[in-house]
Amino acid sequence: MTTKTIYDFYKLLENDNISFSYRGGFTNNVLTTATQLFKENIGEEHSKLKNKLSFLMIESFQNISRYSEQEGNDILEDTSEFFMTRNVGDTFYIISANLIDNDKIPTVKEKLERVNTLDKSELNKLYREVLTNKQISEKGGAGLGFIEMVRKTKGKLPFDFVKVDEKQSMFFMQIELKNPKVDDGLEPLPLSDAKFVQEIVADENILMMHKGDFSKEAVGPMLRMVEENMQNVSLKVHKKIFHFLVEILQNISKHAYPINEKREGIFQIGFDDNKFHIGTGNFIAKDEVANLKNQIEMVNSKTKEELNELYRKYLREGKSTKTGSAGLGLIDLARETTDKINFEFIEINNNYSFFSLTVNF
Amino acid sequence: MLEAIILEKTKNSPEIILDKENNTFKIAGRSIVEDPGEFYSPIYKWLEEYVKNPLKSTDFIIDLEYFNSSSARQIMEIIMLLEKISDTGQKAKISWMYEEGDEMSKERGDEIKLVSKLDFEIKEYPAEDF
Repeated sequence: MTTKTIYDFYKLLENDNISFSYRGGFTNNVLTTATQLFKENIGEEHSKLKNKLSFLMIESFQNISRYSEQEGNDILEDTSEFFMTRNVGDTFYIISANLIDNDKIPTVKEKLERVNTLDKSELNKLYREVLTNKQISEKGGAGLGFIEMVRKTKGKLPFDFVKVDEKQSMFFMQIELKNPKVDDGLEPLPLSDAKFVQEIVADENILMMHKGDFSKEAVGPMLRMVEENMQNVSLKVHKKIFHFLVEILQNISKHAYPINEKREGIFQIGFDDNKFHIGTGNFIAKDEVANLKNQIEMVNSKTKEELNELYRKYLREGKSTKTGSAGLGLIDLARETTDKINFEFIEINNNYSFFSLTVNF
Repeated sequence: MLEAIILEKTKNSPEIILDKENNTFKIAGRSIVEDPGEFYSPIYKWLEEYVKNPLKSTDFIIDLEYFNSSSARQIMEIIMLLEKISDTGQKAKISWMYEEGDEMSKERGDEIKLVSKLDFEIKEYPAEDF
């Protein structure tokens, strides 16, 4: 994960009002976080869709565990499964991806093709038939989940299978929920967009990603997510992740440059080479760039011991106001990371720049 | 008598007990409030009054599993207010509590102890069983 990839990722999701992706072992906590994040952060004009959206997220989630070959319960345990929700224009997308045995593909495909061709009354008929059918197989049912998804969205379920090896394939599926009250006139996003995101998060070893308006209640659900899905890492690492998240996310919510009254940002947690990586990106007013750059360069130039001394000094005296002096948060960030703070400013226009930052620990 | 301040903990703010009558002074839980200045200002006001006429001995318990850096500054402010108690000839101490195995909370306590002028005790308590 580099500062450049954060910007590229942001550009990829530029039109998303909110998006969240997760890769790893799935537990109900992930679901709780995702539903909370959307409940608390989606626009007022979509508030009537909240319950439907939660319902569909649950269905999608259960679908992953129903057809998946893995049973992980920790974010680091299994990273093949992928879940993403996003809102672009008037449509919400819920995307799931998981490994499936190749020999199960024909059955799943048949079920999906069937629900995708039926009209409303045929779907209702099929739903009742399946409900009363005593021969429903234990795992997988007869596609009740799929029928429900189509009934609730009044749309189709785009899907695809991408062969991994002789035994397994990646099963992608997308649920599209359109707000009937708003019409953005946009074509729905193709499933290939979601496949591309999945490819990037897999290549970059990104476990969790969230893009949205950080002035809203985004920090809370994120923190709970980390707390509940990282039980296998030591308390010390756990607390560090928590610590960085609080500092970085609160920083975005306070200092990000507001565009259309939103303080947009992107945030990622990755894991590779036995290190955690946290990356964030947000816009910042151009006249604040020089000062922030000075501050980061200042903390980067100091040794851990110098940083500790500075921290203790500021604890008693408070932050002095002269330009270039860093706040406690930044000093703390610098002394807790294993490497220097990586950062980059990309000039967007005369008013603001894009600021991305990554830390490793 | 100063009226007690008792605040229950929330997901972002700590439990606060400032109760002179019952000789209980405590901050516990998590402090990640986005605007700590606002949250802590009634606490300062209370302590400013209290330190003018404190009890013979004040044991202030800080049991924070986590605090953000802006809260760190506020906690230090509380400690510096309590340092004034010595001017009245009475005693004050900090009991910094942390759960067994929580190195980060212990380290934070060690650090604040270094910059504090109060009697400062760091105590471990056993981890809760789930």
